[in-house]
Amino acid sequence: MKRVLIVDDAAFMRASIRTILERNGFEVVGEAENGAIGVKKYQELHPDIVTMDITMPEMTGLEALKQIRSFDPDAKVIMITAMGQEHLVKEAILSGAKSFIVKPFKEDHVIQTLKKI
Amino acid sequence: MSDQFLSGHMLDMFVFETTQLLEQLEACILDAEKDGFYSGNAINEIFRIMHTIKGSSAMMRYDGISSLAHSIEDLFYLLREGSSCDVEYSELSDLVLAGVDFIKAQIESIKSGGAAVGDASKLIADNRAFLARLKGSEPGNREPAKQETDTAEPGPDHAGQEQDLARQDDPSGSKYINSFRAVIRFQEDCEMENLRAFSVIHNLEEVAGGIRHVPEDLMSPDASEVIRRDGFTISFRTDCSYVDIHQLLMQTVFLKELELEQTDESEAAQEAGITKPSAGERTADPGEDRAADYGMQSISRDHTSHQNIISVPVAKLDKLMDLMGEFVIAEAMVIQNPDLDGLELNNFQKAAQRLNKITKEIQDMVMSIRMVPLAATFQKMKRVVRDMCKKLGKEADLVIIGEETEVDKNIIEHISDPLVHLVRNALDHGIESTQERLAAGKDKKGTITLEAKSAGGDVLIIVRDDGRGLDREKILQKAREKGMLYRPESEMTDREVFNLILLPSFSTRDDVTEFSGRGVGMDVVVKNIEAIGGSVILDSTPNAGTTVTLKIPLTLAIIDGMNIKVGKAIFTLPTISIKESFRPQAGEAFTDPEGNEMIMVRGNCYPILRMHQYYNISTDITDFTEGIMIMVEHDEKTLCIFADELLGQQQIVVKSLPEYIRQFRKVKGLAGCTLLGDGNISLILDIGGLIYGKDSK
Repeated sequence: MKRVLIVDDAAFMRASIRTILERNGFEVVGEAENGAIGVKKYQELHPDIVTMDITMPEMTGLEALKQIRSFDPDAKVIMITAMGQEHLVKEAILSGAKSFIVKPFKEDHVIQTLKKI
Repeated sequence: MSDQFLSGHMLDMFVFETTQLLEQLEACILDAEKDGFYSGNAINEIFRIMHTIKGSSAMMRYDGISSLAHSIEDLFYLLREGSSCDVEYSELSDLVLAGVDFIKAQIESIKSGGAAVGDASKLIADNRAFLARLKGSEPGNREPAKQETDTAEPGPDHAGQEQDLARQDDPSGSKYINSFRAVIRFQEDCEMENLRAFSVIHNLEEVAGGIRHVPEDLMSPDASEVIRRDGFTISFRTDCSYVDIHQLLMQTVFLKELELEQTDESEAAQEAGITKPSAGERTADPGEDRAADYGMQSISRDHTSHQNIISVPVAKLDKLMDLMGEFVIAEAMVIQNPDLDGLELNNFQKAAQRLNKITKEIQDMVMSIRMVPLAATFQKMKRVVRDMCKKLGKEADLVIIGEETEVDKNIIEHISDPLVHLVRNALDHGIESTQERLAAGKDKKGTITLEAKSAGGDVLIIVRDDGRGLDREKILQKAREKGMLYRPESEMTDREVFNLILLPSFSTRDDVTEFSGRGVGMDVVVKNIEAIGGSVILDSTPNAGTTVTLKIPLTLAIIDGMNIKVGKAIFTLPTISIKESFRPQAGEAFTDPEGNEMIMVRGNCYPILRMHQYYNISTDITDFTEGIMIMVEHDEKTLCIFADELLGQQQIVVKSLPEYIRQFRKVKGLAGCTLLGDGNISLILDIGGLIYGKDSK
């Protein structure tokens, strides 16, 4: 069972993603409400996959992605993004994000993306 | 998939979180407005909040909210990126606040089970117009990237990335032995095809060179469209075999179709199957990993202090409170059980004491769970003051004191509207116009103070303005017109005159304004406050301002009560209002010329209320020296209640009187009833009602 860490500042989004993942046989091992906590939880929990929102307080998803990749180059991080953030997504891909999911997302898309990487 | 979200838990969560975000946003704007400009932090925060609301509401398919949030997000995106020198901040605030109001209204409608049907197109159009003007005023009039969303403005490192791409076009790829051509098609609704393509290229770069692709510029606005229509075509050279490349490309997320062909002749090399490790398989140096680990831990230690908080539906807390009430009654029923009368039960008494102590602790805890600071309610008033000032052309500051004071959740809900009303009144009627203030030698900016503090079992909430004060003459004149005077004018103290405006249908303002004169007046405030057992006190000094004090009990449901007996009836007095009780000596009581009984205590005269007379209860004890006098106070008025005897003190659970009693006969002086330990029902006296009821008799 794949273990997933959800990083998103919106509790609503975290719950949405959690619902979808748990219904599809993923294990959500943790949630974090900003990049800094996300990085910390990554070190504690060693999840298989991270879903990472881009726009967050304290530390953005991009920064968190870079930090996570700096100590774990194998980290599988999927960015959660919205239309209009294309350049941030591009930077994320250059920084090692495995893929991205566009909000508002569909259950099928989330699962496909997580299964593929 | 949004359908499964449309009800229940997710909806609650959406409403809760969005409401919180809106409050944050509002506070942020009001602060910024006070400072006269939007700091970088504020712009960032507003941008982020709008971004979150956009995302969540899109998930819930509330398109109106989502696109409105989007249009505001765009505004702040531009402010964040661009120079923000020539921004009309006050107009910007108006726009955002209008947006906030719209979303709030939608949320309200959603909360009450309705749909979010409001039309935000006008607001969105306003935002876009403002955005267009902002762009127009920007130096160099530079058009942001033409993404359908306008927000994808090139970042500072954009140029560098383009160079990265350009370098890959370099024919240095010739050192590789195999050439391939691939056409990738994505699933129809996967969105951001250009970036998915970019991701493919990024992965290929690990193993290939000389990469060329159509469309060439993936960040151009129509790239996604082209890919959707024609597919994404790539040619590249690599050392990997056909099988490896096929496998790599098949990993593409949302891949619908892949055509892959080898375009050169070096099949031999393909057979050799030289493979390079791909990014995903690369293993990290464990030593380096650990070093990074340590570094990170020292950084992240600062973030460990977040509190563990869970949110609980208020309904559950209400239920808990009800149960707590029942529990207190049940406890009293056991400990004060009539069967125990006259028994010597040492161990039972010990156990009972322990039960009593724990019950009290649980009760304190249950109460404290329900306590909420007034901060949120007070902060809302900032917006009220701002809007009013703008509309009325007055200037006023809102000073908030003691917002950390906590009151029961129920009470918060009941005082919110009255507070808005009082603050509006203060601004509309109290604070003068700028000219008037200057003429009176005051600071041109008015001040409204909102203060909360605890006083014994009550919380005092004070709304004070430094305006013109109440006009005694004007109030009297109005009262005369309406025939509301019940005593000769000359005999009335200022306070009594001021209190006239608390009576129903009294409004000193002739013209009805949008804000404070909707035909309802202070009496509505009074009604609301009395509904939660509180009272309203008015004070005013001409030319120095008016002070309205709301005195509200800390909590409603469980209070300390003193049981008293009159004839066969039992009444309960809130302990908090009792000043003292005593048995009068003969001759201390006397009767004034109008037949009112009074008693002299330490040189002061207090009126007496005989309970048996007031409620027509037959009792043998009618002589003051045989019964007991209980001196009670309310609103700085004092009354001596005469009863047969004191029964003792206990915690009581306040229950409202049954509907039919309230409907058919309004019994004066009763606040509710409670169940005693022995199963008897006791009536809780409303001290305020008794004092005023006696006055008007």
